[in-house]
Amino acid sequence: MKIKVLTVFTLAIALFLSACGKSDADLTKAVNDKLAADKVTGVTVAVKDGVATLTGEVGDITVKNKAEASAKAVEGIKNVTNNLTMKPRPAATPSAPDPALTAKLNDALKAAGCTGAIVAVENGKVTVTGEVPGAKYVTCIQTINQAGITGIENKLTKGK
Amino acid sequence: MSAQEKYQSLLELANQNGTSYELSEGDNGTLVVTGVAPSEEAKTALWDEYERLDPEFRSNDLILNISVGQAGGSGTTYTVVSGDSLSKIGKHYGIAWKSIWDANRDILSDPDKIYPGQELKIPV
Repeated sequence: MKIKVLTVFTLAIALFLSACGKSDADLTKAVNDKLAADKVTGVTVAVKDGVATLTGEVGDITVKNKAEASAKAVEGIKNVTNNLTMKPRPAATPSAPDPALTAKLNDALKAAGCTGAIVAVENGKVTVTGEVPGAKYVTCIQTINQAGITGIENKLTKGK
Repeated sequence: MSAQEKYQSLLELANQNGTSYELSEGDNGTLVVTGVAPSEEAKTALWDEYERLDPEFRSNDLILNISVGQAGGSGTTYTVVSGDSLSKIGKHYGIAWKSIWDANRDILSDPDKIYPGQELKIPV
């Protein structure tokens, strides 16, 4: 009698487990494998009841998004809690001291045909005023962005 | 919303089109993206995306400093003469025939077929 009860009980457990699908441990491994296959590193995975929690520090937001998408793509994962943080960004350094940067900007703007733009540089941050032809506007903004500046106050206007 | 969140589609695009970049923090939380795009088209695509996210670039929260890399663009050119093959030209410059093939996919359709007078880009 006792043996019979035990057998029924064991069968019930076995049935229950197979109906449930993969265990959390299996899912953790599957998520880790998927992250490795997608070349995402620095992520710690914990799965509980089919919900994956991602922790750790990654390079930038694109890696954070990619890790989440990878984990979601694993069969059996119901939801993903994305607790990944992004590495602090180092402080940007201007490419040159203010007077040299001003000269560099003026040369580049002149070369790009943006003579109407007036720049003032303070600690690498550029305040740009003046007016340039509308068709040149994007080029002028690009030129300023590419000089190695660390901040911008854009008050440039579009003329004809 | 942080600048990284605001400009995430721009960074995703950079990853997709082969632009390598580094992030740093400028004045007052400004996101500074410094990178090298593989082509002029890739750079333009990034600027188009920047313009879409921030029309007229007036938010002052992103510095997009992207230059275009020298992917075969500034190498030398070689004019094919009768009897040449990609491997023969490659040997002359000390590079693999395949790197010449890769640099000239736009004008070549078959690595075995080159013609006298063709100007090939030599990625050296």
